[in-house]
Amino acid sequence: MKKIIIDFFDSRLGIRDILEQNLTKYLLPRNINVWYTLGAVLITLFMIQVATGILLLIYYVPNPEEAFQSVERIMNEVPFGWLMRTLHAVGANVIIIALLLHMLSVMFMASYKKPRELTWVSGFVILNLAFGLCLTGYLLPWSQLSFWATTVATDAAGAIPVVGDELVRFMRGGSMVNEATLGRFFALHVMGMPLLLGGLIGFHLFCVRRSGVSRPPFGAEYESRDYPDHFEHEEHPGGIPFFPNYVIKDSAVICFFLAFFLAIVFFAPNLFFPESAFEPADPFVTPPHIKPEWYFLWAYQTLKIFPSEIIGLGIQGLFMTLLALLPFIDRGPERRPFQRPLFMTCYVLGILLFVAISIWGHYS
Amino acid sequence: MPTHDTPPDRRKFLYIILGGVAAVFTGLAGWPVWRYLLPGEKSGDQEKVPVAKSDIQPGQAYFFNFRGQPAVVLQLTPGKFAAFSAVCTHLGCIVKWLTETGEFQCPCHGGRFGADGQVLSGPPPKPLEPLPVTVASDQVLVG
Repeated sequence: MKKIIIDFFDSRLGIRDILEQNLTKYLLPRNINVWYTLGAVLITLFMIQVATGILLLIYYVPNPEEAFQSVERIMNEVPFGWLMRTLHAVGANVIIIALLLHMLSVMFMASYKKPRELTWVSGFVILNLAFGLCLTGYLLPWSQLSFWATTVATDAAGAIPVVGDELVRFMRGGSMVNEATLGRFFALHVMGMPLLLGGLIGFHLFCVRRSGVSRPPFGAEYESRDYPDHFEHEEHPGGIPFFPNYVIKDSAVICFFLAFFLAIVFFAPNLFFPESAFEPADPFVTPPHIKPEWYFLWAYQTLKIFPSEIIGLGIQGLFMTLLALLPFIDRGPERRPFQRPLFMTCYVLGILLFVAISIWGHYS
Repeated sequence: MPTHDTPPDRRKFLYIILGGVAAVFTGLAGWPVWRYLLPGEKSGDQEKVPVAKSDIQPGQAYFFNFRGQPAVVLQLTPGKFAAFSAVCTHLGCIVKWLTETGEFQCPCHGGRFGADGQVLSGPPPKPLEPLPVTVASDQVLVG
């Protein structure tokens, strides 16, 4: 029976050939390491977000009068509603962790270099879209935390000269966070951004597959090389097949991440929920110590360090621009980490600075 | 010397183990989703639904919400009440009461039911579902 079905599709679409070219005959470098699995981990996590997001939409009511109650109902009354909601909320944080690790590993191995600039840029946009999804999703439960974190986050844009105030009004749909803000953020969170993200992930994977997996810059046999100006798919003759060899490694790391993820969901479900997340939004009472999520703390603290908000915003913008254009700035062919002392110094200091400013932001 | 791939019985064993693990995980993930999607029983689903006697005129029908679905209560003769689900047993449309003829008619395909809920004509395969009625002092309790 299985053979009949496969024969039917194969004779019409040549699926055996497609599967062979992309699975068993798709060869990866022999020294490929565990960091290359983070893409598969992220796809799995994004799929969980989509599935739990769709399920939450069944009971969530995007209206300031009912949003908080609908989330309470999901948490307390709907069977396994607490699980769907916690998976979705914790999953967002785990995705950011995986995205940052993915980005840092690509930077460490300099996989962003020619001919993979487009893979890097699309990945960078995906990271920012994920931040956008987190920000827009944060408002939806319409809790005190949602309301005031969104107020603070959107307010920062007001420091931009000339257009700042109008930009804030446009994002909020009014001068304050209100029903219009919820409508906008809801539309962006459930439709606009996921569609864009889906397209970008498709493009990112296309880039990876088209240019070929980069060879890890480690081992005695590794040599830096210049890539030609014309298109060339990087082959790895004598490498290991994607299926089953690398799929098993992918699966193992996915299981590791799922274990970490589910451990938080079951044993520390409130890790990412401060007390103000359990009170309905009150536009007349700002709770004390409103802080953004951990991944925005660096930006929050940067704005506080500098006497002028515009300088803080400018530095954030400069940092993000440098990161986005990294492959066009760091253009040398050398990819071995220990042959790039200047880059590695900036890399390590950058990570330490990010962690230090985030901790400072948390305790400030 | 013959070359050996993985022996077929070992490969089959591996497939069975992997299939079993996949089935267990699918079940573990599928059960919460199934329960999440299953319509839940609301509090009050077993309670009787009161209708004021003054709302039910003799020879008239009074439509009301019975535990989330439309129902109808009739006062056939003074003091004698009967209640039915108002959902047509053909394709689920809501029947209407024809005072002149003293019968229910379905607007979708013309099914007709008597005041006792029995099918008079048309495509409905079975009578309207009767609902138990208890008469209290100034209320009729349905359910």
